[in-house]
Amino acid sequence: MLTGKFARSLGIRHLVCGSCNGCELEMNALAAPQYDISQEGWSIVASPRHADVITVTGPMNEAMRLAAQRTLDAASDPVVVVAIGDCASGDGLWCETGDAGTGAGRELGAAIGVRGCPPSPDAIREGLRAAATLLDGRKS
Amino acid sequence: MVNIYRERSVAQDDLASVVDELTHETLPLGCYATQRSVRTLFSSRDGVLALRTSLAPGEEWNSLAPRHPFFAYHEREMRSLQGITVRSSPDDRPLYFTADAIPEAIVAEGKGISAVVVGPVHAGIIEPGRFTFSTGGESVVHIDAQLSYSHRRLEPWFEGRDALSLVPHIARICGNCTVARSWAYARAIEELAEIEIDDRSEFARMVLAEMERVHVHLFDIGSIAAGAGYGAGTTAALGLRERINELNCAASGHRLLFESIVPGGVRAGVLVDPGIIRAALRELRDDIARFCDALFSKRSVLRRLEGAGIVDKSLARRFAAVGTSARASGIACDIRAMAPYGAYRRFAFTEERASAGDVYARSEVRVREIERSFDLLDRGLRELEGGEIPAPQPVRTVAGVVTTVVEGARGAESISLELAPDGRVERLHVISAAYRNWPLVTRAMEGNIVPDFPLVNKSFNLCYSCVDR
Repeated sequence: MLTGKFARSLGIRHLVCGSCNGCELEMNALAAPQYDISQEGWSIVASPRHADVITVTGPMNEAMRLAAQRTLDAASDPVVVVAIGDCASGDGLWCETGDAGTGAGRELGAAIGVRGCPPSPDAIREGLRAAATLLDGRKS
Repeated sequence: MVNIYRERSVAQDDLASVVDELTHETLPLGCYATQRSVRTLFSSRDGVLALRTSLAPGEEWNSLAPRHPFFAYHEREMRSLQGITVRSSPDDRPLYFTADAIPEAIVAEGKGISAVVVGPVHAGIIEPGRFTFSTGGESVVHIDAQLSYSHRRLEPWFEGRDALSLVPHIARICGNCTVARSWAYARAIEELAEIEIDDRSEFARMVLAEMERVHVHLFDIGSIAAGAGYGAGTTAALGLRERINELNCAASGHRLLFESIVPGGVRAGVLVDPGIIRAALRELRDDIARFCDALFSKRSVLRRLEGAGIVDKSLARRFAAVGTSARASGIACDIRAMAPYGAYRRFAFTEERASAGDVYARSEVRVREIERSFDLLDRGLRELEGGEIPAPQPVRTVAGVVTTVVEGARGAESISLELAPDGRVERLHVISAAYRNWPLVTRAMEGNIVPDFPLVNKSFNLCYSCVDR
């Protein structure tokens, strides 16, 4: 078990940028007893100002571009962006189709990418642990 | 295979009266446009009927929405995507927008009324949308729902592409209704090519669709418990859903069943061991029944659900609502019973309905539908035991126009497909059940208290990504 400050108390804000909702279904599974991230001290927070991690899904679409940037601007340092799924990581099926961009995580400077279409809850949890490790290792 | 799609040519001047008549007798699905014509779609026992109305270059479309408000979204979409001018529309705002030109919300005016904006980014793991609440004290007077934050211009992008190459994309328009949509798409291609699907593949398709229904309904029930402030119920529902997702993975190699139904049958390797799935489902069925009994006999939960977010039958009918949201208000609209397709033709299937139209009724219909799904799963999987499911048939595309409808967890899911002789898509249009039902959510909230919005909203639990596309 990780023991760092962030590893035991991670605030997560979620941002959907043209996702099909598949990644969201798997992120919601993290609240099931089989995974239960609340036991790690992690929570989905009600404002980007409370967030240590911003998870993003989708290829990035035009309609969300402004809201996505404002969410990032509203977060206080330090904050780590985690790309959830292949689309956000930059080579999902929907990247550069329609009005979509090259991946929400890639466009928003994600430090960590969790692969899969969608990634499993286990993989998402590992990605969040990696984000916590990054935050704990950083000089603030 | 019976060809169940029919077209009738109707001039624009005659359309309103034909629509009036059909709206009483059938389930209207909506309308969609190409540059040259508009098709208005109805589903009934006889299949799908499309009224084809030709449009001369530059010809305006007379809005059907003043008489039949469910056409409003469809017509706004025609304006946004095909550039068709819609005359006498009750809502002139574009359906889609760019970040620098987001439409203004419609806000109620009056003494003591204030407006609060929520979204598009929300405090949870949910899709984006902007809700503007006009409130008087604690009560909601009006809600303006600005959707389209998940719009990706998918339908124009489909055009000109090979229809068979789009199978992975169709499965990923929306993660919630992926099986239903893939099935509707497969049927569209098969109906045009007049391909018959063998019995075992049809049973497998039904099994996959019912597994999707169970996991979506369970998620909805868990979300309703969350809206009611009963966290233990949410956790338990998610735990049960996780068990279905694991079974989905065992059955198809994918936890959400993506791409398990393909044109010509089901993907090779799907449901190779039906006996194991059937045994696991039997155990799960008992656990789900026990959970639902316990959840819906708690007085504190029931007091939150009963009387909240009422949709009366006339409102549901006026908006041509579909799925559990309509059946909870007494409307018969289950495509599995109304126009049976695939393996549903083999079983006498009675749809589940309630009458109160409140959050409890929408919960109750889901609980009973889960029971019916388990019946179908047991019968379907028994049929599959002791034999193999054939590999999907090779499919050659045939040109034509068709609309197919299947019953997804949220209601009628349709695909309209216009194919060129070389197998390329000329038009591919998706009407999702959520698209039909969004207007109900805001109306169901009128007169309810603001803190009940999460509860009432989750009792519909509509998707965004298949609505916005």
